[in-house]
Amino acid sequence: MMEMRISGLGIAGAFGCGTRELRAALEHGGVKPSFCADAGAQSIPVYRASTTALERYLNKRVLRRIDHFSRLALLGAFEALEDGEYNFDFIPARERLGVVLCSGFGALSTTFRFLDSVMDDGDSFASPTAFSNSVHNAAAAHISMQLGITGPGQTLSQFDHSFISGVQQAQMWLEEKRVDAVLLGTVDEYCSVLGYCWERFLGIKPSTQMRPFASDSSSALPGEGAAFFLLRPQQDGSAGYARISGMECGHVRGSSPRLGSGAPLILGCEGYPDTMNMYREHLPADAAVACYTPLYGASPVAPAFDVAIAALALERGKAYPAPAAPPAETGWATLSSGSAVETLTCVDFGVGGEYSALHRARPCL
Amino acid sequence: MDTKAKLKQVLVEELNLEDVTPDEIEDDEILFGEGLGLDSLDAVELVVVVQKHFGVEIKDMDEGRPALQSINTLAAFIEEKQG
Repeated sequence: MMEMRISGLGIAGAFGCGTRELRAALEHGGVKPSFCADAGAQSIPVYRASTTALERYLNKRVLRRIDHFSRLALLGAFEALEDGEYNFDFIPARERLGVVLCSGFGALSTTFRFLDSVMDDGDSFASPTAFSNSVHNAAAAHISMQLGITGPGQTLSQFDHSFISGVQQAQMWLEEKRVDAVLLGTVDEYCSVLGYCWERFLGIKPSTQMRPFASDSSSALPGEGAAFFLLRPQQDGSAGYARISGMECGHVRGSSPRLGSGAPLILGCEGYPDTMNMYREHLPADAAVACYTPLYGASPVAPAFDVAIAALALERGKAYPAPAAPPAETGWATLSSGSAVETLTCVDFGVGGEYSALHRARPCL
Repeated sequence: MDTKAKLKQVLVEELNLEDVTPDEIEDDEILFGEGLGLDSLDAVELVVVVQKHFGVEIKDMDEGRPALQSINTLAAFIEEKQG
């Protein structure tokens, strides 16, 4: 595959907004979920993300028709382009920039609010603005409109594996030379219906704490956020965080990710016992692992946060402290804080048995 | 609450006018363009809002254009239709 370079990062989650706040959370921990009273019979802990930082880029009047989901996406997009020092004064740059937006669930809050209004008041009273925001590609449209991007746009949804699908799409566009760069983002939001499901079907309680390697009972806490990447071909010589040197996807029924012995891995464990069993079965016994989901919770955007953390670690050449240690019986070592890293692979198993492995290496400067 | 006050409140809430309060909207302020700054998408939303909150239907552009000029004109239109 053609290697890609991550040259800009835009992230917003429970840890805060931007690379500086994510680095601080990685170094010092302390990210706590908040409690959402609307989740059902009792409030459950949720890793919420704020979009107040978006007012740095857009005024309130512009934002008034843009819902939380699209605001998260816009915040990630602005941050990634600013971080990657993308030159918008150069008009062809707008035409040669692709937008790929990935989401597992889409704009949940707006979608349910729109459906509720149809059921409560009939379709003639349904808000046209709510309908337009409930469409899955609304966030990508907001990004293109607000940033003046006229290159191709694509919205993808493949639940837990939406992000890896987006990486494939970006790689294809760059290889075809259809674009010079791709703004690849993943965004997902929490909503009260999701909270109800978490409580009802996963048994999450107010006292539940996120234990990513749990195999006895589910400890996954819902999260939300946005993670955006400005991707360029590796050979274009621009600076960046890391190279994407390989990727693989599959299903546990037919294959297994190719992970080298002792390979440093970032695992997407979110506290689901079923997927934990897949990690146990398919990872090398001597793997050195880290898992950072206690900083942002469980959601389809979590694999993209993992990739952002890997990029930050590879940029500085050292691993960040892992907030949770793997159980001793796995035999896995904890990727120790400060240990030198030249390559990192982010591995993610979905509840249906799908897996993805994204291989990254330090940038070639 | 009279029609004008309710209209202003509904306008701010339903159109998410975060940078203005109901009290700041003048009765004779032009709603679209340079006045309050609403646009054609707001007009569509406003038609739904008026029907939902006041039970009054704006059937076409001939009816809507003069009614949607200001709070004064819209309130008068609603009150007339409500009889």
